[in-house]
Amino acid sequence: MSDEARVSDSADIATTLDDYRLRARTWLAENMERLESPSSPQWSADLTPDVMAANRARQRRLFDGGYAGISWPEEYGGQGLPSAYESAFLNEAEDYAMPDFGALSATTFHICVPTMLAHGSPDFLHDFIPRVLAGEVLVCQFFSEPSSGSDLAGARMRATKDGDHWVLDGQKIWSTLAHLADWGLCLARTNWEVSKHRGLTWFAVPCTSPGLTIRPIRQINDTAEFCEDFFDDVVVPDANRIGAVDDGWSVTQTMLVLERGAGRPETGLASSTPGPLAPDLVRLARRVGRLEDPIVRQKLARAHTNDFVGRILTARIGQMGRLGALNPGLAAYVKLFRGTYSPIRARLAVEIGGGGGMSWDAGDPEGPETSLAYLNGRSSSIAGGTNEMQRNAVAERALGLPREPSFDVDKPFSQVLRDAENWTGKP
Amino acid sequence: MELELTSDQDLLRESAARFIDAVCPLAMVRGLVDSDSGRPADYLRGAAELGWFAMLVSEEHGGGTVSGQGLLDLALIAEERGRGLQPGPFVSMNVVAAALEVSGSTEQRGTVLPALCRGELVATWVAGAAIGQGGPGSSIVETSTNHGFRLSGRAGLVQDGAAADWLLVTTDGPEGFSQFLVDATTPGITVQPLRGHDITQRLAAVSLDEVAVTASALVGERGLARHDIERQLQLACVLSTAETVGALDVLFDMTRAYAADRTAFGRPIGSFQAVKHQLADMSLSLECAKAMVVAATGAVQAERGDAGEIVSMAKSWVGDTGIDIVQGCFQVFGGIGYTWEHDLHLYLRRITMNSLLFGQADWHRERLCLIHGL
Repeated sequence: MSDEARVSDSADIATTLDDYRLRARTWLAENMERLESPSSPQWSADLTPDVMAANRARQRRLFDGGYAGISWPEEYGGQGLPSAYESAFLNEAEDYAMPDFGALSATTFHICVPTMLAHGSPDFLHDFIPRVLAGEVLVCQFFSEPSSGSDLAGARMRATKDGDHWVLDGQKIWSTLAHLADWGLCLARTNWEVSKHRGLTWFAVPCTSPGLTIRPIRQINDTAEFCEDFFDDVVVPDANRIGAVDDGWSVTQTMLVLERGAGRPETGLASSTPGPLAPDLVRLARRVGRLEDPIVRQKLARAHTNDFVGRILTARIGQMGRLGALNPGLAAYVKLFRGTYSPIRARLAVEIGGGGGMSWDAGDPEGPETSLAYLNGRSSSIAGGTNEMQRNAVAERALGLPREPSFDVDKPFSQVLRDAENWTGKP
Repeated sequence: MELELTSDQDLLRESAARFIDAVCPLAMVRGLVDSDSGRPADYLRGAAELGWFAMLVSEEHGGGTVSGQGLLDLALIAEERGRGLQPGPFVSMNVVAAALEVSGSTEQRGTVLPALCRGELVATWVAGAAIGQGGPGSSIVETSTNHGFRLSGRAGLVQDGAAADWLLVTTDGPEGFSQFLVDATTPGITVQPLRGHDITQRLAAVSLDEVAVTASALVGERGLARHDIERQLQLACVLSTAETVGALDVLFDMTRAYAADRTAFGRPIGSFQAVKHQLADMSLSLECAKAMVVAATGAVQAERGDAGEIVSMAKSWVGDTGIDIVQGCFQVFGGIGYTWEHDLHLYLRRITMNSLLFGQADWHRERLCLIHGL
């Protein structure tokens, strides 16, 4: 292609993108509800059946208007456009009420379904993806197990082949909002006599399958976002398999990269502006009358600085990705920052508020804010990969440090389990 | 620590690295720790030829930049200087040059600036408490006389004070903040070289006892220097943190390499999670520090309204986590790092001292609250 042609091409794209943006603006004004104030993601406690139904209806409206799955393939009901269009649309949509399914938005649209698109069979996707885009199907992860959290490849959910079906037996846990989901993406072991990474397979499973019991777990913050899921002879057609039999670990790799935030459209928010100084903490300091206390002021400034550092670190790692240097170790920096500094921030709030911040009048709706943030602060250092796993990823994949010796890769998984029971510390 | 450099900027960085390697490598820095100046003869002229003191000065006054964005260029040089723990003058000299460029009189710009750019004269900044240094009593006051002004007071932590031909003195007074460019040999000025924690840079205490200067010594208008001082503080913090992050980058890489090479219990120590997790945490802090230097440099270069805020966040972050990182390096190196022969303590000294110059972390955090009207 000549340089001239390239210039006119990119000019065309810019014009089309501008047109697209204008059309989206008009469409949004005519079809979606404008927000009174900027939205923040829904808490799981707010996801009542009415709220879920309203959001499914919003998703349906996007689908009917041609604004669902903007960057997903056309053959499966998406729009097949470059991600710049999706960013442009999200930008325009900032002042509107968009479909919000809490954490299920992320597991469905950013983690599970993109994984399915990368590894699923065309037949399955043809039927499945349009229903996702229309708001009929929300997808959760059946990923961790009581005996395998950080050690994901140690999954023990058993899948046994029976004709053109599989039968699943075992237990999953920490499946976010599974009780509100329609389908789940489930990691299972299909071969116990090969090494642990080589005998795994993924299945898409309807949450209403006979034999599948999903129970919300009451958490320390008195909400129930996570579930435990009991699979008792759950029958899954082979057509619902995602990826090749025993090749589940490569599917898992895709999912882990997506889980750390890869591939999400940028919303174009400026990361280089510090913004107001930790408004929630300033409010708290004022409420307990400690805004003049020099020690409290140090903590306020510390929280504000950490908030800003986290944003520009994220931008820097994103820039590295665009420059082609992104590896799974680099993505782990962002997660490790969050996992390290979220608990610190929550603790700073406790120290700023003192006893007054951690007790409140029974009728005060904002009273529990500090206490809840403190409890929730423990989640980001564990959920979606513990800090320790992120440190391994940074150290081994970004810094190139040697791996620990492993005791579970060069033998059949069934033997791994036996040897772990009789641990001697010798390889 | 910019991820993308222009080819000119790459060249600038390389030329700085080559100069340091040839003229003042770390072995020489170490050899000069007991000397008065801390630097080899002719160091300044050589550095000046590479533009080290010219980047914040217009071509009209003998300066010039590589990219058209002088502070971005200068921050690259500061990083290289940090890698090699280079002797001064650098930060304070550039701050004075920038101050004269912006607010100096025609005479000050015409005579002093070109000589600074060429490395023929040394200038430094005497500021004290106005920039969070030295605590109460570390300020200089001015009073007007029939012939001009009288300056009195004391400031410690003056970089390269003993080598300075010119002093930019920041004063407080009933009229507000003012600044004066004063010949260091003016009667009443005493420059006392200090011994200090960082044996690779030179600090001094400067006392002014009823020093008489004429109105021509004023830099900018009397009582109206607040804005200039803020700008100078921002420049000093950017260059000082860039230097620290350059030093941290070298030190961390040495430590990472050591953890990969050194074996114990039959394996590289870097394979133990107790060691590699510590390195991962240090690396996270370092990546954040790099990002903060880039953010602060860009904000000050563009003279953004929030530049002062971003600078204070960068200075406090790099100040605190920089020390954490060095302490972590000590732990990984074990006993060998505790020896005089190992370079680790030289890095510890510079990084710690830089965290205390131009406002230590808690001073900048209080400043953040004030900036936000709290």
